Amino acid sequence: MNEREKLLSRVQMYDFALIEAIEYLDGHPNNAAALAYYSKMRTAFDQAAAEYEDRFGPLTAREVDTRGGHWTWIDDPWPWEGAED
Amino acid sequence: MWSYDKRLQYPVKIKNPNPQIAKIVLTQLGGPDGELGASMRYLNQRYAMPYKECKGILTDIGTEELAHMEMIAAIIYQLTRNLTPEQIKEGGFDTYFVDHTTGIYPQFASGTPWSAMTIQSKGDPITDLFEDLAADAASV
Repeated sequence: MNEREKLLSRVQMYDFALIEAIEYLDGHPNNAAALAYYSKMRTAFDQAAAEYEDRFGPLTAREVDTRGGHWTWIDDPWPWEGAED
Repeated sequence: MWSYDKRLQYPVKIKNPNPQIAKIVLTQLGGPDGELGASMRYLNQRYAMPYKECKGILTDIGTEELAHMEMIAAIIYQLTRNLTPEQIKEGGFDTYFVDHTTGIYPQFASGTPWSAMTIQSKGDPITDLFEDLAADAASV
């Protein structure tokens, strides 16, 4: 696993926890433990995503750094390309 | 509206192509109980839902199913990369290949294209939820 994959797997791990918390909270909107868990996972996700994006490019088209004079959003690898990147 | 994250929900990294497995996995993309159907089911049923908790759940799960669809498509894409004509034939992938080459096409394992006839949306939340239970029980 290279450095990019390691950072990406942290993003994926925290986002998976976040998605589960979101879906639980949809059905239990006043659950204090779930609200606290959501908040904790969102902070961890935001940090992991920022770290990944600083080094390996944007995760969303709204996070593109245009200072390099290049539209990095389209740069390879795209998510489905897996092993051959 | 929707936005896209340029990553899979879980990594897919397949080194060796395998058209036999790809042919079976296809049904999880576009089969009667696949991810495309799951997503379309939840995202279209939500308009009839009167309860805010369930409007949220249908929206967020319908969205997550789209991410599942992307992972399954990535699996099929990687399982059918760099196939030789022999692998296509021996793997029984020739019947798919003649119609789509290695393009990703949502269909049943048996070859029937994905159809909205595999989902239901009745405008009644209880009826729709029973249909969701049946569909999700089939895919577990």
